[in-house]
Amino acid sequence: MSSRGSSAGYDRHITIFSPEGRLYQVEYAFKAISNSNMTSVGVRGQDSVVIVTQKKIPDKLLDPSTVTHVFQLTPYVGCVMTGLIADARAQVTRARQEAAEFRYKFGYEIPADMLAKRVANINQVYTQRAEMRPLGVSMILIGYDDERGPQLFKCDPAGYYVGYKATAAGAKQQESLNHLEKKLKKDPSLSFEDTIELAINTLSSVLSADFKATEIEVGVVTRDDPKFRTLSVAEIDEHLQRIVEKD
Amino acid sequence: MSDRYSFSLTTFSPTGKLVQIEYALNAVAQGVTSIGIKATNGVVIATEKKTASPLIDDSSLEKVANVCPNIGIVYSGMGPDFRVLLSRARKAAQKYKRVYNEYPPTNILVKEVASVMQEFTQRGGVRPFGVSLLIAGYDDNTGPALYQVDPSGSYWAWKASAIGKNMVNAKTFLEKRYNEEMELEDAVHTSILTLKEGFEGQMTENSIEIGIIGG
Repeated sequence: MSSRGSSAGYDRHITIFSPEGRLYQVEYAFKAISNSNMTSVGVRGQDSVVIVTQKKIPDKLLDPSTVTHVFQLTPYVGCVMTGLIADARAQVTRARQEAAEFRYKFGYEIPADMLAKRVANINQVYTQRAEMRPLGVSMILIGYDDERGPQLFKCDPAGYYVGYKATAAGAKQQESLNHLEKKLKKDPSLSFEDTIELAINTLSSVLSADFKATEIEVGVVTRDDPKFRTLSVAEIDEHLQRIVEKD
Repeated sequence: MSDRYSFSLTTFSPTGKLVQIEYALNAVAQGVTSIGIKATNGVVIATEKKTASPLIDDSSLEKVANVCPNIGIVYSGMGPDFRVLLSRARKAAQKYKRVYNEYPPTNILVKEVASVMQEFTQRGGVRPFGVSLLIAGYDDNTGPALYQVDPSGSYWAWKASAIGKNMVNAKTFLEKRYNEEMELEDAVHTSILTLKEGFEGQMTENSIEIGIIGG
């Protein structure tokens, strides 16, 4: 093979290939997610799916009700965004538009897997066109499909998406994944309470922190109530109490 | 939203090479190995389905895909880029059917896909696709066919081929094992053996994907 070809220097600035066949801009987008100092976790149980993320209010003057990383995309599909919050809002808005268009065109609500695919395909376009950079966010998407049951997907800046039994994103992603792999090794059948417990415990364990109900956000869908909803502070407190009592 | 770059990003180097295409081929060479074998009565395509974590739900990942009832496709390289090409291939097949009321012969569809890939090596503001494709099809006129399409947009018909990480060893293995009288059953068996050659770890029914046409 010839000596290392001159890359014209732009392979780090826009999404063209580097000599090794890598896309630096996409890799840097992933870095932006780890730098966000937030970690989110998603867990799929037997008949429910749960997403949990940290709620950090850096300044006492901020209105805490406006600080959120959990978003509803359709009545039945929700997501947690990890990374640059501005990019997150852009992607959420787009996802909502796609979902609404689907509902208008086809007469029924878009299933979680199709919305995840649509978001991932849009992310792929940003990795191939020079005029737009990849977004610095990972979207963990949950929904309840009446044919396939609870669904959990993650869409990343590379345009990659896949279904998960459990996943994580953000600063402590790898530690969370290790923790989840261990706990799910025996392929246990998780009830709704167990699913929430596992998600919250994973976050507590990797961040070495005991949360107060106001320090985390939780989003759920269950078979009995397939509408996506975020738990109130009181409900979160209930679950935290149960976890404490278990110890 | 997009003010298009009006100039191509894939340009000739002083030595007359299109380096972006070569780099794209490097991206393919880092991808998981895929195999294709043409038999007398059909074609088989197969790939490794290595998921990075046991937490991944591997039933949600589709690497060997259907383009239309007589054509299947598998890739090595960047998954997201493959999804785009798969969409285009499916659309092209349906467009053909609308005009001629039958699904396209394999070589016609391959031409379509290849011309899309070529477009992205010349058009302004885009990079080439980071995938190589193995397209397998069967039609009544020409029988079984196996094509490989590269990021440059060039394509060849093969009797048996491999793309991705382990392609050199796999092709050597195939050269030894291939014979013109092979039937589909033998071809499937050979493709599994070929994948096994380069497989790291335990190969189970969940860690490979196989597609067949014909038989």
